[in-house]
Amino acid sequence: MMEHWLAITLLLGFLSLDATAAGQFMLSRPIAVGALVGLLTGHPEVGLLVGALVELIWIGEVPVGSHLPADLLILAGIATALAAELVRGGAPPEAAMTFAIGTAIPLAILSTELEGLLRRLHVRWAHFAQRMAGSGHFGTFDGVNTLVLLGLFLKGLLTAAASLFIAHLAGRLFHLLPDRVVDGLYYAHWLLLALGCSAAIDLMVEKKTSPFLVLSIVTALTAAFFQIPGVWMVSGALLAGFILTLIYAGKGETA
Amino acid sequence: MTPTAEEKVPPRLSFLDLLQCFLRSFFLQAVWNVERYLNYGFAFVLAPALKRLYPVREERAQALTRHLEYFNTHPYMASFVLGAVLRMEEEKQTLPRPKQKQKEDEINALKVGMMGPIAAMGDNLFWATVRPYCGLLAITLVLSQAFTPGSRAWIIPVLFLAVFNVAHLGVRGLGFLQGYRQGDQVVLALRKYGFQAAIRGLKLASILLVGVLIVFVNMGELDREVGLFILKLSFFSALVGLFTFALHRKIAPGQLYYAVVLIGLILAYWPELSTPPTHLLEGVK
Repeated sequence: MMEHWLAITLLLGFLSLDATAAGQFMLSRPIAVGALVGLLTGHPEVGLLVGALVELIWIGEVPVGSHLPADLLILAGIATALAAELVRGGAPPEAAMTFAIGTAIPLAILSTELEGLLRRLHVRWAHFAQRMAGSGHFGTFDGVNTLVLLGLFLKGLLTAAASLFIAHLAGRLFHLLPDRVVDGLYYAHWLLLALGCSAAIDLMVEKKTSPFLVLSIVTALTAAFFQIPGVWMVSGALLAGFILTLIYAGKGETA
Repeated sequence: MTPTAEEKVPPRLSFLDLLQCFLRSFFLQAVWNVERYLNYGFAFVLAPALKRLYPVREERAQALTRHLEYFNTHPYMASFVLGAVLRMEEEKQTLPRPKQKQKEDEINALKVGMMGPIAAMGDNLFWATVRPYCGLLAITLVLSQAFTPGSRAWIIPVLFLAVFNVAHLGVRGLGFLQGYRQGDQVVLALRKYGFQAAIRGLKLASILLVGVLIVFVNMGELDREVGLFILKLSFFSALVGLFTFALHRKIAPGQLYYAVVLIGLILAYWPELSTPPTHLLEGVK
């Protein structure tokens, strides 16, 4: 079994509550989960990079109405744990991350299906709570919330433990891969960044706002040619974005 | 009507009641179900206030059951409705009995009328704008290696959480307070908060970050050869265009992931391919 598997399982179990049921402080987002699991496994950089890649590629996944997006907590958490294990075993980090995320995707889909099943079961809890409210058993009515949270925590815990085990088994396959395939996973990592940028563009850019994207690329290119450090470029983009937000906010409502 | 009923002082909600309701609003989605969505959550949030407002057991049971009807909206924006309903429930208790039924209908109408529009606004504001913006900020910082390798890398997720939760808790708090202060008039007040303007501004700010990101992930080549950098950037941009088209055609990111890995494998078996940029991961060992 993986190193620190118990700590990772407990962490993912607790964070699974944040995803929908309790708080929604975004502690369950890939960027936070990746960093936390990375810290636990002793590979914070791998955690940050996996978290950033998952956050970027799935940036357009929005929970609207009854649509359940992929379980990004399991995706980022399991992928980080597996990638850290592979890197520790001597695998190239880029290839390890690509392999780990690819392994975690079906596990995340299964976790989402399980979440859907639980939500169907919650109908019974809601009916039970209604009966308790109608008959004046207010303590039991309140207790339903705690019981459901406990159920969700257990679901998160079991899903994380099972996923870690499956990922660990899949990780053994990595060392059997021919060098050419590992090279392919290495190339794919760079291509995945393109996929991530596309996801952000698909979500954010409209026809009338596309000139801002071109303007931003040209400005960043100019800055790159003049060897301006990355952090200054991000700061410049943030400042410009802040000014644009202020300009728009000042215009008030039009719709 | 008995004289005692005339003289009875209608119960008011205390600060502690409101605080309890506000804290419970963080669990609004716990019993999210496919039949009536947030119905239990809504009643669960109001329960401490209903306990205060309806001292008679049967009346309290009736009020709680009344709030178990279908309800679904954005979890953060729901605070506007929760606050307003608390005020209206409080007002209801000051009315003579014959008018209380009418107030109940008004409360239901407010819930039904508000949940759709604020859900649309909340989804667009938080899920499609603020969260992606905070995510892009963190991603750009990670990929620019602004804080990595080194011990200060934890700043990035902390920054992501801090920026997002300022907006999150701000809207929750504002919604709850304004809802309670304005009651059913909160519908009219919603427009003045400038959520639509914030969405437009933040989307533009996000686009600027995406532009910087596209340049960042190819910058490693710049130190070696400018021509190669331009070539890689052009290839990268073409891929971005292709993938954007695919995503626009509703192909899921998970499916595209495997397609991209397949392209990577094809490239690996292409004998004359040059090495892709590696600068992003130089610090990872």
